[in-house]
Amino acid sequence: MRKPWAGKSFATFVLFPFCVLMAFPFGWMLLTSLREQNTIFNGPIIPRKLTGTAYRDAWTSIEFPLHFWNSVWITSVTVIGVLVFATLSGYAFAKLDFPFRNTLFVLLLTTLMMPSTALIIPLYLELKSFGLLDSQAGLLVLYISGSAPFAMFLMRAFFQTLPDELIEAARVDGGSELTIFRRVILPLTRPGIATVVIFQFLSTWNEFLIANTVLRNTDSLPLQPVLFTLMGQYSTNWPALTAGLTLSVVPVVIVYVRMQRQFVAGMMLGAVKN
Amino acid sequence: MRAGHLLGTPLRKSQRIAGYAFILPTFVLFLAFVLWPILYTAYLSLTSWGGFGAPRFVQFDNYSRMLHDPVARRALLVTLVLTGVTTAVLTFLGLVTAVLVNVIWPKVGVVVRTILFIPGIVSFVVSAVLWKLIYDPNIGTLNRLLGAIGLDGLQHPWLADHKTVLPAIVVVTVWGGLGFTMLIYFAGLQSIDPNLYEAAAMDGANTVQQFRHITVPSLRIVTGLIVSLGLLNGFKAFDVIFVMTGGGPNHASEVLGTYLYSLAFGTTSGSIPQLGYASAFSVVTMVLCTLAVIAQLWLTRRADR
Repeated sequence: MRKPWAGKSFATFVLFPFCVLMAFPFGWMLLTSLREQNTIFNGPIIPRKLTGTAYRDAWTSIEFPLHFWNSVWITSVTVIGVLVFATLSGYAFAKLDFPFRNTLFVLLLTTLMMPSTALIIPLYLELKSFGLLDSQAGLLVLYISGSAPFAMFLMRAFFQTLPDELIEAARVDGGSELTIFRRVILPLTRPGIATVVIFQFLSTWNEFLIANTVLRNTDSLPLQPVLFTLMGQYSTNWPALTAGLTLSVVPVVIVYVRMQRQFVAGMMLGAVKN
Repeated sequence: MRAGHLLGTPLRKSQRIAGYAFILPTFVLFLAFVLWPILYTAYLSLTSWGGFGAPRFVQFDNYSRMLHDPVARRALLVTLVLTGVTTAVLTFLGLVTAVLVNVIWPKVGVVVRTILFIPGIVSFVVSAVLWKLIYDPNIGTLNRLLGAIGLDGLQHPWLADHKTVLPAIVVVTVWGGLGFTMLIYFAGLQSIDPNLYEAAAMDGANTVQQFRHITVPSLRIVTGLIVSLGLLNGFKAFDVIFVMTGGGPNHASEVLGTYLYSLAFGTTSGSIPQLGYASAFSVVTMVLCTLAVIAQLWLTRRADR
């Protein structure tokens, strides 16, 4: 046999500096958010004294709680909406038998990869004609409709792993299709639901283009567009700016760390199924 | 078919009704906010329209204008170059890091995977703002670090120079995408039968030969997937460039997404939106993305054979 130690040491030797490079921007972000404003320009690269004042600045002066709350509630409603639509239709495409099922499914599939950069003009015009421009309701409609087909696709894969006999037995017992779906099927698909929830949470929380385009009223903006405008306003107050970035990342990192397994599974499934 | 058939039609009928009812909400949203916009953009791309009154039908004028517009040609070129380079770098680095993570001690591997993955879960806005500060010409960390280690000569206005702006963007995109690429490759590596390596070792194949003749061919489907995802992400690139450079300096980093956005929603106030012309770029983006998906299906099918 070959010497396993040689390979392992070599891998460590290469990966260690690489990981330092990859982690550097975040480390630097944290350090900058904790340093004093007057040491940004000429202070040492590693600050001598750490202070939390930048977090207080970011929290109060840019109305961070307001935008944070906007992000939380826009993301929550989107996740719930997508979940309802995607589980219902994913189940129908996986397990129910109805005419044109495959045709409709292929139709939904073919447009799955259309990016929002390509659709932003008609979507903007459409919201405008419905009078939903500059409203969070309009943004929610776009988020849910844009994400539901993909989530449906993920959920369908999960429903397909359930045995048909289970559903047929429930039918013989006389349950309506909706009851079967709610009582028998949904409880069995928890891992799938967790995956969709995490995936959707992340993509909605991080969405920028649509939110930045259809919302103009500053008070209704979620975090991402606000962080973008902050860059202009706080171009020299780097501690406050990086403190804002750090705070905006906290929920994402918490969800990632706590639900790493489903998270990775979801991302993989999404990629592979594409 | 199965039980439904044996028990007669009522069950099948209720299934049919339930089927349509279950897909109806998704389908209505899909028609209104996915399919209709696609068709509407295609129509708008054949018109000239400033947003008021009725769009004026101009046939393929927008597309021929694109061919003569130096900014449009630049945007298409930059999109293709950025996409190609980013995809190549991601695929290469992703495979290398996955192989290394696969041979390292499993516990260390978990830590490495997490470190590489975290940049991919923060938003593009966060990573773009962060890197913009790092690249800042006056007080940016990159220039300060170069100064600190005595390489003042390499200090540079990274995002303001048309020679360095594209590599600077590639770095940010690779930084964000590497963890995911590595992870897909890692999963692919784990699914290779270890007996293959043992058999090859018995036949006297060295590590490099094993890599070339077992690892690389076994990962063909995974590579196809990574390449096509890289193409898709490249063709729709917007956030990072919009936030870091806005397409500048002087259109040096302009891509299809940023150009169509400035045409439609105007970075300069007072200009009339060119919704028809901008829509033509939407159509080009959609065609490129469709090609990327077709390429993936083709690669997967070929690898399956």
